[in-house]
Amino acid sequence: MARVAITELSKLYDGGGEPAVKDLSLTVGNGEFMVLLGPSGCGKSSVLRMIAGLEPITSGKIAIDGEIVNEIPAKDRDIAMVFQSYALYPHMDVFNNLAFGLRRRGIAKTEIERRVQGAASKLGLLPFLKRKPHALSGGQRQRVALGRAIVREPKVFLFDEPLSNLDAALRVSMRNELIRQQREMGITAIYVTHDQVEAMTMGHRICIMNKGEVIQIGKPLEVYRNPANTFVARFLGNPPMNLVPTSVEPDGGAYQLRVGGMSLPTDCWPAETLSRLGGKALLGIRPEDLYETAQRPDERRRIAIARAHVIAVEPLGAETLIILSLEGAAEEVTMRSGRETRLRPGDNATIELDLAAAHLFDPKTAQVIPPVHEEREARWAKAE
Amino acid sequence: MTERALRQRAATPSPPLALDARRASRATLIILLAPALLLYAAFMVYPVLRTFWNSVHTIKPNNVPAFVGLDNFRALLGHDWVFWKAVGNTAIFAIVATIADVLGGLLLALALFSRVPFARFLRVVWFTPVLMSYVVVGIIWVWIYDYDWGLANVILRAVGLGGFEQSWLGDPRTALWSVMVTHIWKWLGFNMIIFLAALYALPVDVLGAAELDNCGWFAKLIHIIIPMLKPTILNLTVLSFVGKMMIFDLVWIMTGGGPLWSTETVSTYVYKRAFDWNTFDLGYPSAIAVLWFLIILVFIFALTQIMRQRERLEF
Amino acid sequence: MKPPSAVEPSAAKGIAYLRGAPLMAFALIYTIVSGGPFLWVAMMSLRTTPEIFASPYALPSSIHWEKFVDAWTKSNYGTYFWNSTIVVVTAVALLTVIGAMVAHCLARYRFRGNRLVRFVILSGMILPPQLMILSLFQILLEYHLYNTLTGLIIVYVAGHLAITVYILEGFFAQIPQDLFDAARLDGYSDLEIFWRITLPIGVPALFTTVTLNFIILWNEFLYAVVLLTEDDKRTLPLGIMHFMGNHQLDVGMVATGLMIAIGPVILLYAFFSETMIRGMTAGAVR
Repeated sequence: MARVAITELSKLYDGGGEPAVKDLSLTVGNGEFMVLLGPSGCGKSSVLRMIAGLEPITSGKIAIDGEIVNEIPAKDRDIAMVFQSYALYPHMDVFNNLAFGLRRRGIAKTEIERRVQGAASKLGLLPFLKRKPHALSGGQRQRVALGRAIVREPKVFLFDEPLSNLDAALRVSMRNELIRQQREMGITAIYVTHDQVEAMTMGHRICIMNKGEVIQIGKPLEVYRNPANTFVARFLGNPPMNLVPTSVEPDGGAYQLRVGGMSLPTDCWPAETLSRLGGKALLGIRPEDLYETAQRPDERRRIAIARAHVIAVEPLGAETLIILSLEGAAEEVTMRSGRETRLRPGDNATIELDLAAAHLFDPKTAQVIPPVHEEREARWAKAE
Repeated sequence: MTERALRQRAATPSPPLALDARRASRATLIILLAPALLLYAAFMVYPVLRTFWNSVHTIKPNNVPAFVGLDNFRALLGHDWVFWKAVGNTAIFAIVATIADVLGGLLLALALFSRVPFARFLRVVWFTPVLMSYVVVGIIWVWIYDYDWGLANVILRAVGLGGFEQSWLGDPRTALWSVMVTHIWKWLGFNMIIFLAALYALPVDVLGAAELDNCGWFAKLIHIIIPMLKPTILNLTVLSFVGKMMIFDLVWIMTGGGPLWSTETVSTYVYKRAFDWNTFDLGYPSAIAVLWFLIILVFIFALTQIMRQRERLEF
Repeated sequence: MKPPSAVEPSAAKGIAYLRGAPLMAFALIYTIVSGGPFLWVAMMSLRTTPEIFASPYALPSSIHWEKFVDAWTKSNYGTYFWNSTIVVVTAVALLTVIGAMVAHCLARYRFRGNRLVRFVILSGMILPPQLMILSLFQILLEYHLYNTLTGLIIVYVAGHLAITVYILEGFFAQIPQDLFDAARLDGYSDLEIFWRITLPIGVPALFTTVTLNFIILWNEFLYAVVLLTEDDKRTLPLGIMHFMGNHQLDVGMVATGLMIAIGPVILLYAFFSETMIRGMTAGAVR
């Protein structure tokens, strides 16, 4: 068990170009499950490989339990990693794949036997101990890779998109298996993925990265509810958050947001911040915060009413996505609706918009405009 | 319709010929294949068959070939001690040089693989001997082995080991080994390139996993890299071994099989018996060639059988 | 918890450097071993024999370019060079065309005898030259092709067809069948398909076999030594051997001859090293 502290880590590959990782700082607490989430090429795998010691560090520090490991070779860091490709030893059977790392560390034979049997029975690998990797299915190989990390009982687990080569059903069960093992053993884990469902369900905290930089760190729901900028807003959530350009217009002492023909009050946001926007803002609203009239569940919410035109209806079974264009505005927005809807393409509809759940972004910096504190608090107090 | 007619109908290809993309008209096939097949029939198949025929005849210039049955083979296996000497030399050559080629090639490839500076340049230089003809290589090394001014003796004298100086190619005790060194020198680069390609094809993640499993570079080499290179090692061993069973050029150029048969190989002996022998008989050397071919065939068959039984490594 | 480690980056780099030193030394030594002999010959080719015997490993004191002129005109190297060029260029061209035709058939079409044709042609790869050389000698004599460049060219083409077809078929088989189906729907005939689809797409593979065959045939010795005996028919390797035999002691001139033989290869290698390495190893990588 260990604490991993990363300070101003950067990675520049030979051949120049943009750095793959830029001044990244991150602390992963003892026993914590941290997810690094970002689109492919955002540098998250580079971070992982630098923590493992498989890639040299350009600048910055990585410390495990306070000890700086920059110059310590991978083999002496006491870290176990599960690779996307599983990286099983093709010439060894399952037993030896699991036992190899223990033997290399001079662990007694009986102890090796005990740990391998233990891990194999936990992961349901007992019938396959004498098989070589090429005779195993994808899910079984995945288990062996996980088992190889578990038997080591290392200070830190690293996972590099370990589930991305599995089919959908297997992915869900392996996800739960993995969470269970980590929570049971209490070993610090860093998990890289581009899959937001994995990030939301597995991590104690998630760290969202883009272009080599940390965008936002926080608990999954916290980040989902309070995205720091438009990147996080669009990246988390499926379908992504709607971002509608609005104009910010003075109205007496306060301001109003205008979207097409509709005016919205702005009492969630401090007036002085709004005054500095230069008249333009992006209104962010998640598809689940738009309602067909009369389907709204909670009377107490702050509601704005908008007129819209239905462009498309996508029934997904458990829910229905409705693509709308707001009256007087060019943008299309997506609304998440229930299993049944009466709306059909071409209809004109009145929709309701939960203003308390809306976000406002500065279009120049893409950063969120922090809402008035007590309004925000009150909002989640009501929601939870 | 009779049963037979039905069967005939079933046997005729149902889709029209022109629509089956994997079929070509007979004319196309003839145009594309005829040159190769004619050439092959006249200059590969016919010569091979004729060598087999020759091997049971005595063929002297201006004489009608005389059928001698298996006499040539009997003489060969019975009391031709030069043949047995040549077999021994060829076997030593094939075994020792093959081992040296494969191990040396692996060593060079590992040197380039472990991020030595200027690796691209070194790879090009180290490969150069592979491109040179045996004549060029042979003559250069004849000079290097020269007793008076050859590099080998010059270096020995320079470091005070003048007592070890040799007539490298002139002494029956050292001649075969000297030719072998030259042959290994010429082919190391070839094995190096094949190994290098195989090394770069190894999955990076597996090597990374080995590092995390507490393997330094040597442990990684022994436990991971070499086992995973096994198919390449076997492949190169077969290729190298079979090639050396047929060795002719370098020996012929450097020593002509001498001194005192000490470098005679099966192939140089075939040539000698055919063109440099006072019997002027083509039948006897043909018998040697046939016998040796059959032995090579057995080796190829045995070695590929061994390889086929290996489990395939997938990564 | 341990205090922060005090490993200085520079000290660690020093250790890494020390570990790299034996590797560097090894690389340097083997570079000298593999490349040195050629540099030595290059130097000797520019020095006269008396100079060489006075000091075999010295640098040229004055450069004797005229030795190349002498070798070319007086010692018949010019003839050897042209013979080699004619034989190699013709044989490589024929090999490429005939080999591509066979490879296309084997890779593309299913026909009766398909497996037999493949077996017969590819078995040429394991036939030792010694098995054919004696009877080829007889056969060429009978066809009046003995001691002719034509005879040697034919033997070369027959002998190297197997490896050429092997490499080309492997490549052609990877061209997607859809492309051929599309061409057929567009009304191309079989021969047009070969000419306009297979060949243009197969250029990289053709390049590989051209390189491989060029190097091997340029260096070929065994067939040439058996099938050519007249001096004005000799190819370069034979010519050098012949010259060496007659002028054992004229080391300077032999060195010049060697440079003439390896010159074209070295020159091509300087520009196309990657292609040539790939070509020479093409048959061995699976």
